Amino acid sequence: MKKPETIYLITRTHGRKTHLLNPEDFNVMARSRSLTEIVTQLLRSDYAVEISKLPSREVDSTRLETIFLKTLVDRYFTVIKDARGKIQEFLRAYAARVEVENLKRILRAKHTGEPIESQNLIPLGREHTIINFPALLKAGDIDETVSLLKETPYATLTSRLDVYKRLGQPIALESYLDRIYFERVLDRMKGLVDGDSLRWLVCQEIDLRNLLLIFTLKLREATPRIIKDMHIPTYYRLRSGVVRRLIHGKFEDAREILAGIYSEVADELFKKGEEESRVETVISKVLYKYATFALTNFFMELSYVVAYMLLCEREAKNLVAITTAVDLGMPEDVLRSRIL
Amino acid sequence: MSISGRAAVTRGVLLRLREQLEFTKKGQELLKMKRDHLAAETNRLLAKVTMRKDLDQKIMEAYKYLKDAYLNLGYSGLLSQASTVDRMGVKVRPRSIMGVIVPEVIVEREPEIKPISSPSAYRAAEKLRGLMKELVELAETESRIEIIAYELMMTNRKVNALERILIPNLLELIRYVEGRLEEESLEEFFRAKRVKQVIGREKT
Repeated sequence: MKKPETIYLITRTHGRKTHLLNPEDFNVMARSRSLTEIVTQLLRSDYAVEISKLPSREVDSTRLETIFLKTLVDRYFTVIKDARGKIQEFLRAYAARVEVENLKRILRAKHTGEPIESQNLIPLGREHTIINFPALLKAGDIDETVSLLKETPYATLTSRLDVYKRLGQPIALESYLDRIYFERVLDRMKGLVDGDSLRWLVCQEIDLRNLLLIFTLKLREATPRIIKDMHIPTYYRLRSGVVRRLIHGKFEDAREILAGIYSEVADELFKKGEEESRVETVISKVLYKYATFALTNFFMELSYVVAYMLLCEREAKNLVAITTAVDLGMPEDVLRSRIL
Repeated sequence: MSISGRAAVTRGVLLRLREQLEFTKKGQELLKMKRDHLAAETNRLLAKVTMRKDLDQKIMEAYKYLKDAYLNLGYSGLLSQASTVDRMGVKVRPRSIMGVIVPEVIVEREPEIKPISSPSAYRAAEKLRGLMKELVELAETESRIEIIAYELMMTNRKVNALERILIPNLLELIRYVEGRLEEESLEEFFRAKRVKQVIGREKT
């Protein structure tokens, strides 16, 4: 029997889900000829308040992207506000993907010493994070940045500094941040209700993140040892033997290795060629497909809330893709193929 | 008023004029050589510019991948990926071709794209990196052509001015001075003869 606050949270999320844009809305927006048309359509959605603050002359894809990401963060923390106790802790850990993305952006800039400002980050209010982002932005280099994370959940990032220095690539730190993030999510997930469906959704996301990392590094001809060091050692449908075969095998062998496990990823990826530019889209599409599945099949479970959060992310990504494509004058069919 | 109207008629002037003519002719020869050299250089550079069409196509292709990356990551995401790339090191130094200063672009350091973690951004960067060197070369060639073409035009004007105005004027002036000097020497000879006759008549 679920606690009343859990039922309240799930019911509220059901209500919030109705605010999400549906595939038809994306299709209509993809047919738009200008950003003004898209903005007009968005004035009937959750984005209306933020968009109406923007003078019509200042509407561009960059500013709209900031609004979409800000709305995404607001949605995450509204859900968290509705939750109580351990569930709130878990959702807070899950929403930390925003701060992880911001940390990655800072680390990337510090890698080359490129200046970075708060406008380059996803807008995340001070009240939603314990990370001192203003201090990180001012840090001189990666060592200083990582040392500033000492009192945070990302303190163990220091252990990856030598790998980063050896490789000279921030992906060493980025992958470790993902590992810390998912380990924290899994830790907070322990003892929660609807554990099976939650694990089904979260652990498949970890599998997909591992696939993305392995494919990315494989396409760069990274050595198996590097790939092994960087992946997240948590598997769900991907068993350790499968991961080993993926790491040691050729990129082209992935289709055969993943058959019956993540065939939808492999089939879609190897369908048209140009794997490198499509790998992110293919993996994201599969992830959001699982989220949609969870939304329709686990409608009274906690995984419904996680699925909702994932679909909020999908909406933000789709809106960013649509506004960018319209701004760049890309053909509608190309854009449609990129909508997640 | 012709140039001859202003010239003093002395042997010294004639010598100076002859020297000036010789100097001008040498200058003309040098300018012609410079013109030919610059024309040859322009032809060589023009052959390089034909790669522009190919390059345009390649850029459009790379731009397609860049758009893909934009779609996947958004503006801020792609900007973040781009911040991991070490900037390309390019040095521009002056080079002289027949006294014409043209830029010479040297690529000292190619951009390091390995730190890019997004596959789509990496693909776009890979395509663009291949083009950067060609783009720099094309920019160097086009700016050289622009400078050399201007210089070629100026040199041509100078050669024409020497050939059609300055040298013919000098030749005319020399002929005039020579004529006048010849007349003067004839007059002098005649005068000396007359003086000799008068002195001889007075003696007898």
